[in-house]
Amino acid sequence: MFKHLRFAVAGMGLCVLAVAPALAQGTLRIGMTAADIPQTTGQPDQGFEGFRFAGYTIYDALVNWDLSKADTIADIRPGLATEWSAVEGEPTKWVFKLRQGVKFHDGSDFDSAAVIWNLDKLLDDKSPQFDRKQMAQARARIPTLVGYKAVDKYTIELTTKVVNSLFPYDMSYIFFSSPAQWEKLGKDWTKVAMQPSGTGPFKVERVVPRERLELVRNAGYWEKARVPKLDKVILFPMPEAATRTAALLAGQIDWIEVPAPDAIPRLRQGGMSIVTNKYPHNWGYHPSMVESSPWADIRVRKAANLAVDRAGLNKLLGGMMIESKGAVYPGHPWFGSPGFDIKYDPEAAKKLLAEAGYGPTKKPKIKIAISTSGSGQMLPLPMNEYVQENLNAVGFDTQFEVMEWNALVNFQFQPATSETATKAGVNAINVSRATVDPYSAFMRLYHSAFVAPAGANWGILKDPKLDELINKAHTSFDRAAQTKALADVHTYIVDQAYWVYIAHDLNPRAMSPKVKGFVQAQSWFQDLTPVEMAK
Amino acid sequence: MLLYALRRFVYLIPVAFGVSLLVFGLVHLAPGDPISAIVPPDAPKEVVDKLKEYYGFDQPLPVQYLRWLGVTLTGDLGTSIGTGRSVATEVATAFGNTIILAIAATTLAFSLAVVLGTAAAYAKSRLVDRLVTLISLVGVSVPHFWLAIVLVIIFAVELGALPPMGIGPENSTGWRLDRAHLAHMVLPTIALSVIPLGVVTRTVRSTIKETLSMEFVTALQAKGMSDIRILRHVLKNAAPTCLAVMGLQAGNLIGGSILIETVFAWPGTGFLLNSAIFRRDLPILQGTTLVLAFFFMMLNLTVDVIQTMVDPRIKRG
Amino acid sequence: MAIQSPSIDLGGTISVLLGRSGVSRGYWQSVGRRLRRDPVTLICAAILILLVAAALLAPWLGLADPYKTSMLRRLNPIGSPNNLLGTDELGRDMLARLIYGGRLSLFMGVTPVACALLIGGFLGIAAGFLGGRVNMAIMRTMDVFYAFPSVLLAISLSGAMGAGAENTLLALSLVFIPPICRVSESVTTQVRGFDFVDAAKASGASTLAIVRVHVLGNVLGPILVYATSLISVAIILAAGLSFLGLGVKPPEPEWGLMLNTLRQAIYVNPVLAALPGVMIFITSICFNLMSDGLRAAMDVKA
Repeated sequence: MFKHLRFAVAGMGLCVLAVAPALAQGTLRIGMTAADIPQTTGQPDQGFEGFRFAGYTIYDALVNWDLSKADTIADIRPGLATEWSAVEGEPTKWVFKLRQGVKFHDGSDFDSAAVIWNLDKLLDDKSPQFDRKQMAQARARIPTLVGYKAVDKYTIELTTKVVNSLFPYDMSYIFFSSPAQWEKLGKDWTKVAMQPSGTGPFKVERVVPRERLELVRNAGYWEKARVPKLDKVILFPMPEAATRTAALLAGQIDWIEVPAPDAIPRLRQGGMSIVTNKYPHNWGYHPSMVESSPWADIRVRKAANLAVDRAGLNKLLGGMMIESKGAVYPGHPWFGSPGFDIKYDPEAAKKLLAEAGYGPTKKPKIKIAISTSGSGQMLPLPMNEYVQENLNAVGFDTQFEVMEWNALVNFQFQPATSETATKAGVNAINVSRATVDPYSAFMRLYHSAFVAPAGANWGILKDPKLDELINKAHTSFDRAAQTKALADVHTYIVDQAYWVYIAHDLNPRAMSPKVKGFVQAQSWFQDLTPVEMAK
Repeated sequence: MLLYALRRFVYLIPVAFGVSLLVFGLVHLAPGDPISAIVPPDAPKEVVDKLKEYYGFDQPLPVQYLRWLGVTLTGDLGTSIGTGRSVATEVATAFGNTIILAIAATTLAFSLAVVLGTAAAYAKSRLVDRLVTLISLVGVSVPHFWLAIVLVIIFAVELGALPPMGIGPENSTGWRLDRAHLAHMVLPTIALSVIPLGVVTRTVRSTIKETLSMEFVTALQAKGMSDIRILRHVLKNAAPTCLAVMGLQAGNLIGGSILIETVFAWPGTGFLLNSAIFRRDLPILQGTTLVLAFFFMMLNLTVDVIQTMVDPRIKRG
Repeated sequence: MAIQSPSIDLGGTISVLLGRSGVSRGYWQSVGRRLRRDPVTLICAAILILLVAAALLAPWLGLADPYKTSMLRRLNPIGSPNNLLGTDELGRDMLARLIYGGRLSLFMGVTPVACALLIGGFLGIAAGFLGGRVNMAIMRTMDVFYAFPSVLLAISLSGAMGAGAENTLLALSLVFIPPICRVSESVTTQVRGFDFVDAAKASGASTLAIVRVHVLGNVLGPILVYATSLISVAIILAAGLSFLGLGVKPPEPEWGLMLNTLRQAIYVNPVLAALPGVMIFITSICFNLMSDGLRAAMDVKA
């Protein structure tokens, strides 16, 4: 309620802004969880936190995200492209109409030549501007893009490998840096990193490696309603949660990402507000579906889903999660209408295990690879230990293979049948997933063509019916049909209990009472433009 | 004297090669993949392989070493895998920040240690001696990173008197000698100085006590020399031993500030090293370790030469 | 946390102990007698023995399961009915974890020093006794390790090899070998030059016998004193590594790691969060005081 009110106020502010030039409104200082400032040249690193603070702030994508609402899931909207559509009769060809009159921070024009130049930067290793670092961050985001050409100064044509009606989502991750700036700085990306130039609502004023990234408002931003109210945003890398908490309490910064649950009461006591909202995040167990795995039996998968006391887990996290009922939360347009209700029902779980032929003398042996920390992993150790208790209570024999985050990331590059996985006896992994767009939510995780290392289908799930449903979503060009198809996919994976769905993070952030006007969107990304600082 | 210094320096060259080999071997001991740290978890394997080739991680180790040594000798420490920035610049900035903190901490620790140690050695009352001994004992026994956290909670969070992190106010572009920057230094300096304070106090106390029991002191006293002048003689005699310990402590403090820098987010070499370890950024890890080891070697050499200079009894070379 | 230069630290020790043709039984007896009359050392020894005994006998002390988590009993304060010292961030019994934690923490303090004592002592004596090229090879290698500040070396090694108790042990042992090696070498070199060694050689004593009687007898004392002072350094270093996430892996109880994981709870229950630090402090101070007592008992000027 409060959030809605706030949004309304911010909205009125925007109406006024559209008429009068924005008033300078102070400096916002943010403590990030990253250990270094994200890559500033265009495609950020440091995961989606990098996209949040060094992506959509400095740059725009052809397709941006609508981050203005807190009550519905964020969806895409026109960015540097004003409209797009697949070519009639040739569904692998896409035409994007570019926004006219957009200028990079250095004053040069944004046009189709700049778009092609940027795509070459990522995809053509023979082009002089090719940048391996940006390529490494971007390549996985645009798996189907194979061709691109300029039609005229403000029209481009992109070609996909297969029919992919959801391709515009992919393009929301690709940012456009200024070719003129790169030329001016001696064609050296390392120099561009210190003085980058994009089209976004914020300009980079100063980059101090490992210390801070200073952004200032871009008064000439092409979208007048989103010209930042703030004069300045300063981003500090602060990987230690305790350091972030102390800095916020001491008034050294105004906003921290991911406060530790145990510090939240103290932060509240210090007058800080804790802002949360749901967003497309999924924390659970991704099982191996190979024949020898106990998970191959749907009854075992359902039993595990029913064994987890999610309400108890939520208590552990101080209310900072949503109890999962699927890969996306209820209310999400893709949720659909699964028949299998994921809830806490240990008796039903025991019954299912008994039906599957298990009992006290013959327990299903599961071993899950978990990490000690990591982006989006929430509090992996206590959470997993809690779930372990739940699972064992209904008759599972649960073990963990504990590893560092990077080791787990490496581990899941290879499928469940790989030597590393079989040697460790692991038959499930606990890697939290962003479910922002249909490709990352479903295709890469559940489609048989995306078995690791080609995608993230670690468990080697091969279900022709599911493949067909996913393909259907990626080949429907009508918006409503698309959403319906995705809801069908989700309904199916929940009914088949293809994962043990446990939690959605609530993305807590803590901020000083001086921070006004922030609307926490249901997204990994957030908009800093409506924020202002009270005196 | 110059000859002695020169000879010591020449002797360092083979050691330096050994150090470079160790630093190189160190980071290649490591399991795991240096590239995985910089690509998103869902990056295709082909991207990873391409990057590996680009950075030369697909070459045999001896080739990688020679290549690395070659460029290192020209002063180029390579570029960071994580950020693409020059390692030399990164380490240089970080090293500057570490040195500032180290100078503050050593000054505090050493001056306090000399005063306390001398007082304890001279003290007639056993209470003073006991108290100083206790302080030095606590200094070497307390986990200093834990003390750092306690200091932050008390002085930054609860009292709000001092900033808990960083090197200066948000608009600073580097360290300057002003009030705001000094305020940022207070807590890390205290936390960093406890160990050297403990060690050096102990050394000063015992060395001076030992010197006081020497015959020349009794002789000077018998001659009727004033206590102050005797103290000067005593200090002069105790100096070489104390200097040697101080030199070692200063080096250890620079090498060991990683824990304190992590707690205070102080952008020095320790902070750099810590983030490099977690990102598996091998060039940064190598560069930082190498620079610190070389600094430590040069520091030891300097202390050694100074020690020879102030101590006429030592005849070396 | 810093290793003192052995040559300085032990200058006194060496000069006092040298010059005897061997160490007589009477000498060790008098050391023992002096130790028995030193209350501080006795108290410290008693505390350490208590800690070690509790750690070793932990399974039979009727303690709670140190791994058993409970979401309902998170961060209970000290003096709770079932948890004398409260519970940690996962609802595990703090008393049990502190006592079990002593196992790893003490082990990580003592083992690397013991390993370094064996390897470093052996290398040092070999270098000192054999001299020549062997000495050159061993001591120059040690110089390379010596070029690193101890903490840096430990962190770089652990950082490179990855987290885990075994890697920490290996890293710490490597850190302590060079100083111990140096001390043994310098003592051995000096002993070798003494008349009684020549006399023994002339009388036809085997090399082994000379090393055993004359060299070991003289070297052992000072090295032991030095090594006990290193234990507290090792304990704090190991805790520091765990604190950085480079040491023992969760959910093992270990004081440094407990300090790290309880950091967030410092706002909820500061005293509880400080307990592992107190344990490290007590242990470390006891080892330091014991080392001092030993030094004094061996009639060595500190």
